[in-house]
Amino acid sequence: MIRNQLIWRLGAFAALVALITVLFAMQNSAYVSEGNIRALMRHMSVQGLAALGLTFVIVVRHFDLSFPGVASLGAMTLGWLIAIGMPLWVAVTGGLAMGFAFGLVNGIAVARLGLPDIVTTIATGGLAIGFSYFYSNGTSISQNFFMSGLLDLNDSKIIGLDMPFAILIGTALIACLLLHASRFGAGFYATGQNRLSARFAGVPTTTLIILAFALCATLASLSITLLVASSGAANVTAGNQLLMPAFAAVYLGAALFGRPSVGATLSGTLLMSMMLNGFTLLAIPYYYSDAIVSTVLITAIAIFDPRISAALRRLWPSQRQAA
Amino acid sequence: MAEGTGTGTRAGAEAGEILSMSGIEKRFGDVKALENVGFDLRHGEIHALLGVNGAGKSTLIKILSGVYAKDGGVIEIGGESYDLGSPRAAIEAGVAVVQQHPELVGDLSGAENIFLGSEAPRPGLFARVNRRDIAARAAQLLSRFPIEIDLSRKVADMPAVEREIVAILHALRLENTRILILDEPTSTLTEREKASLFAMMAMLKARGIAIIYITHRLEEVYEIADRFTVFRGGRNVACHTVAEARARDISIPNLMLDSKTGLTFPPRSDRADGEIVLETRGLGVEGLFQDVSFQARKGEILGIFGLVGSGVDELSKALFGAIRPDRGQIVLKGRETRFTSPAQALKAGVFLVPGDRRTEGLTLDENVVFNTVLANLSRASAGGLLRFGANRRAATELAQKVDLYPLKPDRNLRGFSGGNQQKVVIARGLYREADVYIFVEPTVGVDIGARSRIYALMREISKDKAVIVISSDCDEVHGVADRTLALYRGRPIGAPMRGEDRDRLLHAGIMGSETGGKAA
Repeated sequence: MIRNQLIWRLGAFAALVALITVLFAMQNSAYVSEGNIRALMRHMSVQGLAALGLTFVIVVRHFDLSFPGVASLGAMTLGWLIAIGMPLWVAVTGGLAMGFAFGLVNGIAVARLGLPDIVTTIATGGLAIGFSYFYSNGTSISQNFFMSGLLDLNDSKIIGLDMPFAILIGTALIACLLLHASRFGAGFYATGQNRLSARFAGVPTTTLIILAFALCATLASLSITLLVASSGAANVTAGNQLLMPAFAAVYLGAALFGRPSVGATLSGTLLMSMMLNGFTLLAIPYYYSDAIVSTVLITAIAIFDPRISAALRRLWPSQRQAA
Repeated sequence: MAEGTGTGTRAGAEAGEILSMSGIEKRFGDVKALENVGFDLRHGEIHALLGVNGAGKSTLIKILSGVYAKDGGVIEIGGESYDLGSPRAAIEAGVAVVQQHPELVGDLSGAENIFLGSEAPRPGLFARVNRRDIAARAAQLLSRFPIEIDLSRKVADMPAVEREIVAILHALRLENTRILILDEPTSTLTEREKASLFAMMAMLKARGIAIIYITHRLEEVYEIADRFTVFRGGRNVACHTVAEARARDISIPNLMLDSKTGLTFPPRSDRADGEIVLETRGLGVEGLFQDVSFQARKGEILGIFGLVGSGVDELSKALFGAIRPDRGQIVLKGRETRFTSPAQALKAGVFLVPGDRRTEGLTLDENVVFNTVLANLSRASAGGLLRFGANRRAATELAQKVDLYPLKPDRNLRGFSGGNQQKVVIARGLYREADVYIFVEPTVGVDIGARSRIYALMREISKDKAVIVISSDCDEVHGVADRTLALYRGRPIGAPMRGEDRDRLLHAGIMGSETGGKAA
């Protein structure tokens, strides 16, 4: 029965992919060209890494609104380290470490001190944005970028895949092992569903929540590293475009597959990127796509929320009998 | 008290009927939840509705309260036919329900909760809420009953019985309430609180309100009900007056169960000299419990009886590291220990089957395998990765051992009855391989069939482990334990006794008196 359900859900996902493809390809045949598909996969890599990190926070039933700000700080840290002549690996590690540190602060504030997650992460996100102005008074940084090899993170290929997509796949595999096959994965889900019972089963709930926030912030910084590599400059507003698509991807995936998971998030990211890429191709202004992403997000939350989906089923009694 | 209605003639009874349901059908997909069910209720009677979990009693109640729409059958209230398609229709027909865990607003006062939804005389955004008027109306409503509670208090600060009374008054705020449904109201009440609830029910009955009373505690049927109806497998299998049941010696457990076995306790242990595994010396937490000393030995079950609020629940949590004791010692396997978290207690070999399995015990949206291995993830994994096949096999084996029904290791816990959920918590404990097993309220909300099995499991575990049973059900503690101790208002009454007399245990736990000894 569970397997049947999975097939049904995969079918729904495939149908959505096909529907979006057909809709956009009808408007512009370039949508299915190789060049556009590569661009789509690059876009998906940036959005997907941020969404993967957020998945851990959503699995433990918390919220993180700070990761766009933290990502901006990561981008500026990376840019500054390259600009002062640090080797690439130091600069990348520095950016990720900055994200990790902010993630720890979020996690400790929420899990150990018991502060409310939404307000706390709004504040830490603001703090990160404030810090990101320190390096260059807010101007963008691009010194030494060409020499440093940073741009190769965007341009080079590995076993036939574009580097950003390969990084996404690699990260997703590790995340998948951690969340779905390791002993910690069960702890993340148990913590999210019922923190008290998880604690009574000996699950280190506090540690896992801190870890989830740390992963979220670190992966957001990794995501922004790819964005900086593709745009060739570090910017204090770099992270702004991560927030809504990441939430939409996680919730859309969870709505499609019944719960947040690595696979669900990747599926959600693919759908979101396909839509955003299509809008770009059709030259639809970005503010319309923002509105559409937001609509997708709120629809996905409504489907994922068991009470709302139950209420929707009550509206169509025939469907309930079919189920 | 029941004689009057019990000997009433059939014709007279029919004349006094307020509710008559007949031929009620309800199905969920392929499952028939109710099959051609009839049920009737008389003016001013207390009618107990009995049955194991899944027998169909809550489905019937949900149809009567308009939560579910029936698939077939007739409902007559006061001689008129009703469809009851929505909760509002049920309220208008005079049916009021008090849920098992009443949904009250903790931050509002008792009076405000009673009139929640009908604060203002007229609807509308600008209709004024008159607090003084509400307080006066609440006091007037309360004055009809021989109960004294302070309705100006916040509901969150009230004890369980007062919340229950507020919920009942909320149900009675409408003048037309004729049928009151109480769903397991005593499950969180102490004996004394139960008495005041029963007094209120008697008053309602005298005022002609018919009460449908759902309970798992059969002794209460004899205490308060006039008639009882037993459900089994979606059918109404018996309806008797209590007087008739007494006179003819009808066994309610036998009616509830398919097999002719009632609640049975396993035989007691004949070993009294197993090694001491867990010992407490003068254990106490300020304001919760004091001076608790006992020894739990391998090969026996130690029972601790105490009502809700007596400190027994907190005691179990102190033994498990969830509350830190501030006085006394815990000695585990000869070494003094001090747990700072449940994880530490588990590592040291203490396993707690918590009292509230839904909030403290289980991850309801995960399956049996997940819930079984959760407390021992290092055993469930190799090199940090879960051993899926081995875990499934181990969980299935344990599920068989605890008689999980249905034996579906991939089903989510939400899909099991209370008793079977409890069996999964026990399977988790077995998977953990602890030295001391602490069971808190092990059979709350568990039907009789599963109860006997759980007691038998406890006895089996006790063969080579120490088992402690902590419960507010005196018969349970007395029936299953080899030695017993009572806690009253945080203090132990007497020392743990072997083969303690049931009535003495009951007195110790309820009145705090130790016969022949000094009162606490």
